[in-house]
Amino acid sequence: MKSIMITFDQAYNERIVELLDRLNCRGFTRWEQVQGRGTKKGEPHYGSHAWPSMCSAIMTVVDDHKVQPLLDKLHEMDQETEMLGLRAFVWNVEQSI
Amino acid sequence: MSLYEGAVKKPIMTTLCFVAVMILGLFSLSKLPVDLYPDIDTNTIMVITTYPGASASDIENNVTRPLENTLNSVEHLKHITSQSRENTSVITLEFEYGNDIEVITNDVRDKLGMVSSMLPDESNTPIIFKFSTDMIPIVILSVQADESQNALYKILDDNVANPLARIDGVGTVSISGAPEREINVYMDARKMEAYGIPVETVTQIIAQENKNVPGGSFDVGNNTYALRVEGEFKDPQQMLNIIVGTHNGAPVYLRDIARVVDGVQERAQKAYNDGKQGAMIVVQKQTGANSVQIAQDVKKMLPTLQKQLPSDVKLGVITDTSDNILNTIDSLVETILYAILFVVLVVFVFLGRWRATVIICITIPMSLIASFIYLFVADGSLNMISLSCLSIAIGNVVDDAIVVLENVTTHIERGSDPKQAAVHGTNEVAISVVASTLTMIAVFFPLTMVTGMSGVLFKQLGWMMCVIMTISTISALTFTPMMCSRLLRLQKKQSKLFLMLFTPIQKALDRLDLWYAARLDWGVRHRKTILFSCIGLFVLSLGCCSGIQSEFFPANDSGRVGIKLELPVGTRVEEAERLSMELTDKWRARYGKDMEAINFKVGQASDDDTYSSLSDNGSHIIDFNISMVPSNEREKGLEQICDEMRADLAQYPEFVKTDVMLGGGHGGMGGQSMASFEIYGYDFDATDRVAQQLKSELEKVDGIGQVNISRSDYQPEYQVDFDREKLALHGLNLTTAATYLRNRINGATASYYREDGDEYDIKVRYEPNQRQSIEALENVMIYNAAGQGVRVKDVGTVVERFSPPTIERKDRERIVTVDAVLSGKALSEGVAAGNAIIEKMDLPQGIMVKVAGSYEDQQDSNKDLGTLAVLILILVFIVMAAQFESMTYPFIIMFSIPFAFSGVILALFLSDTPLSVMSMLGGIMLIGIVVKNGIVLIDYILLCRERGMGIIRSVITAGRSRLRPVLMTTLTTILGMVPMAVGQGVGAEMWRPLGVAVIGGLTVSTVLTLILVPVAYCMFAGNGVFFNRRKLKKQRALNDYYLKHKDKMTRVKASGKIHHGHEQES
Repeated sequence: MKSIMITFDQAYNERIVELLDRLNCRGFTRWEQVQGRGTKKGEPHYGSHAWPSMCSAIMTVVDDHKVQPLLDKLHEMDQETEMLGLRAFVWNVEQSI
Repeated sequence: MSLYEGAVKKPIMTTLCFVAVMILGLFSLSKLPVDLYPDIDTNTIMVITTYPGASASDIENNVTRPLENTLNSVEHLKHITSQSRENTSVITLEFEYGNDIEVITNDVRDKLGMVSSMLPDESNTPIIFKFSTDMIPIVILSVQADESQNALYKILDDNVANPLARIDGVGTVSISGAPEREINVYMDARKMEAYGIPVETVTQIIAQENKNVPGGSFDVGNNTYALRVEGEFKDPQQMLNIIVGTHNGAPVYLRDIARVVDGVQERAQKAYNDGKQGAMIVVQKQTGANSVQIAQDVKKMLPTLQKQLPSDVKLGVITDTSDNILNTIDSLVETILYAILFVVLVVFVFLGRWRATVIICITIPMSLIASFIYLFVADGSLNMISLSCLSIAIGNVVDDAIVVLENVTTHIERGSDPKQAAVHGTNEVAISVVASTLTMIAVFFPLTMVTGMSGVLFKQLGWMMCVIMTISTISALTFTPMMCSRLLRLQKKQSKLFLMLFTPIQKALDRLDLWYAARLDWGVRHRKTILFSCIGLFVLSLGCCSGIQSEFFPANDSGRVGIKLELPVGTRVEEAERLSMELTDKWRARYGKDMEAINFKVGQASDDDTYSSLSDNGSHIIDFNISMVPSNEREKGLEQICDEMRADLAQYPEFVKTDVMLGGGHGGMGGQSMASFEIYGYDFDATDRVAQQLKSELEKVDGIGQVNISRSDYQPEYQVDFDREKLALHGLNLTTAATYLRNRINGATASYYREDGDEYDIKVRYEPNQRQSIEALENVMIYNAAGQGVRVKDVGTVVERFSPPTIERKDRERIVTVDAVLSGKALSEGVAAGNAIIEKMDLPQGIMVKVAGSYEDQQDSNKDLGTLAVLILILVFIVMAAQFESMTYPFIIMFSIPFAFSGVILALFLSDTPLSVMSMLGGIMLIGIVVKNGIVLIDYILLCRERGMGIIRSVITAGRSRLRPVLMTTLTTILGMVPMAVGQGVGAEMWRPLGVAVIGGLTVSTVLTLILVPVAYCMFAGNGVFFNRRKLKKQRALNDYYLKHKDKMTRVKASGKIHHGHEQES
């Protein structure tokens, strides 16, 4: 079991849930209207006057074999519309109930 | 779920909501009446009091004064004017606009109740009369007749006036110029005397002979019969056979001493249409009825009515107020359509995408149509003001939609899905869209609070603009994102046609961006040069101020001219007719096809012609009514025509007074402006002299068409002075003697002759040729109760006297008004010329000259507008300060406002347009439109700064990126007004000043905003940075000092002992 944290411009919202559905990743937790900025080029998403856009974040816990296809699709999506910003981070799930 | 998210997610609901609004709007539109101006409430009340037998000065002292003194305390009173003439006192109370006239009327009634005991016993109870614009005739029909002339009144009354009066909304229909039938019994004075039968006896006998008397009912056998005596004459000639008395035992028949003429009234008005005798039919409307509707109904009915008339009677239209109104409204609608077209073009050129253009342009009809709902609910009408308002709004309603659409497009281009882009894109700009609408509302809402005459105009405009702006914002926040989510796509490939068309435009716009960035770069580095040259320009424009004329309201070319001519009192009606015919022929020859109808009437109006008897009439007064074809179908302007007519009239020394009225009447809006001078003073001779002097001086001034003095000359008349003692000796009294005179000259109504359900007067009086000299009057025989006769000359003398003129008062002082009608000269100049003359004049003591009339109105409205401008500035400042959360930025933005005014001044100066209420209105609207540009610029500069750019770089980046939106919104507004400013349609002269003012002001202020606002920002921001640094430096120094002296400063030591440090120090 791996947990994947996806942070993205809120415009991706629906597309990412769609993608999770397509890849049979049922469970997820979503935070809407969160703030953040990219490490290199990523524009700040603060919801402020200067940086009006906002991010959302989704945490999904999936079986190991589903991780790669999901990351591939996400990467594809990011490259298609680079200006919006989308990142995903994977880490281990030690235990769950 | 936010508003826009909801709208995007529920497109059907959103669309249908707006469809519902549109349907309601179109429904309201179909119900809206059409008029020239918004409804102007009555603000005048007349109090009419009669005091029979009193002279003008008696009336003034005993009736007018006490009434004035009491009525003066009625609330909201603006002016109180009065006319005291023989027998009658007319007091006119003028109130401030915008008060409930019903409440005021009750107040007036209460006050009259209080004062009635102070009035002379013989005076009648004062009558309250409300005057309103409804009294103005809406349609005047002409009638031409040949052989039917004598029976014309009955023909018209039965076949035209009665059917017309049945039209919904028609108040009264009066027929003038067609004398009514009358049965005249002309007595031979000498024969009457010989037989000893006076007129009174004949009158009584005729009345007693001409009667039907029911005799009750009686029974014959089983039946009951009614008994009647029918004595009414079946034919007027039957009268000749009645016995009026006996002489030496032989009966005297009426035929022995009189002749019966079945004819028409002796003294009646005659009307001539296009040189042919006929009549005039005047239609007045009921209060609150829609004049255009009525006029249309009347015109629709004419062909049917014409069929029922004898073949020689022809109906025509002299004046139809609806024609001008409809033409004006039509040309205004045309203006609006052009404006929409221009705006759509601008949007298309700047956006370069038809889908985006469609989305934005849908907002225009939507907001405009929604405003009709407001008009319908608020009982408004489609008039010049409400339609001009639409024309102004067209350029502004697209602004909000453009801002939203632009941001959504940016989101889509960054890769968002259109739906998401629509929601988030709208969310980001929602606040600034609302803020910019609030600034517009801050400008237009105060307009609804203006009082006075201009308030009537501005109230509707203010509300309409507020409604339109609100609707357009709601639509921009709901409908536009919804449409964007449906229609907008990421442009992946562009068609060849598009590339061909738009590449040059795009390139040009790109070059413009670059060029502007370079200029701005230079500008921010030469701040002082820019600042001083701007100030220089402002001062220069102020210099042009002196070259601008001012007027209250532009004259409306309605194609109507009214002329009132006065010959010396006592001139016979035939002479007046001759002169009028001469003038008619002259003018018909000169204007030919330009002249639609020319009509005049002369003579004394009959009592039952309400319309004519309200205005001055008499055998020496001629009234012309001329209508020309619509202004866009003729070359000469109405003003020029009026001047030509005045010049013609000046050639006739016969006329004592001539008055040519543009638009058909004086006063109100749309007529030719008049400079009125009021001369206050008690002494008749002194004020008359001043008035005459002022008149003759004013007539010499160039550009003054005619000068009228309100006070009329002393009128000659004959009076009979009876000697009361002699009368008493003969057993007579004054009333009896005077009645005898009246019955012989004016005639006594004996009875009524009935035919076909109508009744006609039977008038008994002397033969016409026996009452045409003073001797005839002197020889009138008066009989006493004993039947002994005595001649007038034995008991009195006939003398010629001059009756004093009407005494006019205003604000409880005697007054004479001198009106100078201006042609080719603005009101301000006319007033200035008059003032110069007055200054040179040596005014006698106790005489004061004051400027009044429309100049006073103009001054009032200028003051109102000035206050309004200040109020608007404060409100706009508050809105901006709230939006930016700063006091500095609004201040910087407001730098552009003075230049809007200099633009207005320059535009008016260059186009030679006088400053009027309309152009000032344009100026006030500019405040809102101009700051919008500044807001866009400053907002983006701040954004760049917040993103970490330096001052100059932010300014240049922002300038470059915001140039297009600023140009786009400005161009939509300017091009929206161009059809107004250059329009040639009917009525265009009324709104041209508005268009010129807005275009001028907006052009100059936009150009300067683009340079001056960034420069001003640099100056303020530079200073800000400087002060911040100094503050920081001070703080750092303070901090260093504090750290160094921490021990001494802090009272709480590490050990916790209090006051220790302090003690140590001391």
